[in-house]
Amino acid sequence: MEQELKAHLKKLMASGDVAGIIALKSERGMAKPYLFADASELECLCLTPKYPMASVARLLLDEDGAARFAIVCRGCDERALRELAKRHQVDLDRLVIVGIPCDEEMARECACPEPFPSVVAVGTKLEQWEAEDIGAAYRAMELDEKLAFWKHQLEKCNKCYGCRNACPMCFCKDCELENALWVKHGRLPPEFPIYHMIRAFHLAGKCIACGECQRACPSDIPLMVLNTLLREDMEELFGYVSGTGADAENPLYTKEEMQ
Amino acid sequence: MAETWNPKIVGFLCNWCCYAGADMAGTSRMKYPPNIRIIRVMCSSRINAEMVIKAFQMGADAVFIGGCHPGDCHYVDGNYRTQKRIAVLRRLLEHLGIDPRRLRLEWVSAAEGEKFAQTMDEFAKEVAELGPSPLAALQREVL
Repeated sequence: MEQELKAHLKKLMASGDVAGIIALKSERGMAKPYLFADASELECLCLTPKYPMASVARLLLDEDGAARFAIVCRGCDERALRELAKRHQVDLDRLVIVGIPCDEEMARECACPEPFPSVVAVGTKLEQWEAEDIGAAYRAMELDEKLAFWKHQLEKCNKCYGCRNACPMCFCKDCELENALWVKHGRLPPEFPIYHMIRAFHLAGKCIACGECQRACPSDIPLMVLNTLLREDMEELFGYVSGTGADAENPLYTKEEMQ
Repeated sequence: MAETWNPKIVGFLCNWCCYAGADMAGTSRMKYPPNIRIIRVMCSSRINAEMVIKAFQMGADAVFIGGCHPGDCHYVDGNYRTQKRIAVLRRLLEHLGIDPRRLRLEWVSAAEGEKFAQTMDEFAKEVAELGPSPLAALQREVL
């Protein structure tokens, strides 16, 4: 798939339609997000590990006023771009999405709801895919079990802000998690449960289930459980699934009465 | 000395309807249990998730939010925003292991002193049955 993608991107670059390509570059055995501006560099392009490319696009579009870029996107990246566009954080007219599917192993690791973008440019998407129901075990718990579970999990937090920093949907300039009114400075672990509750709530209708927060967590807190449960709630309460439909708005931001 | 437990309820009341309703209850000399600690806000939509969670974290057994009836919001659509926000927040509390009945949203108009008193009566009883908030107990351990 990698060779095929490189050929596809070379063609795209030759067409002169885009000023550059946002993708991962392999360097000394590591990968980093990179803006490929020249076809000769494409040899170093790589696809793994998974990286929140939407954040890169957001920062880059901010920098440069008019140029158009191509961006190599997985399913989650596309969902993130859609949600960011709804909040005026990226201009989709300035991006050409080059969709790539995830393989089964990767999709399973993320418990991804849809491990492929709407248009797959290179590669073949998984024909049959059903994500693991990671919320099931928690929904079945009694209230006191849940509380004990989270008390134990969230006590492992060392407040590195990794979950927030890795999240493609966390773009606020002033973050409530840094506001001493809610989260006391210099206290470890952060007071239970406000730190993680603020994050979970702010991501309601926003989280696109990419799993970056959980991957970033050095303490292995199952953050995606909370996010997934709230994603399900948003669908159940409002029929809203974040990352889908360019026109659908997060009902928490609209002024309509709840049905 | 054993202290008897009484439910602590933090109440966020909107200035235009529910707070005036509570005022009405007071000036009409209606009786209702003294468990609620009222905080007046300009609109129920001023209440964000942080405030509610913080109240629970600091030892509230329940949180009450009072706003204007649908269509009556002084700011046109504030109460609709509150309604949706609280619906999601109740789910989040449940996922965390807090009984969602501990967070209640009611519409009380400025003329409904009686409804306010009745609601407080009901709510205080309900919370008393639920017992102390487990989060408050956890917090005491920390302190």
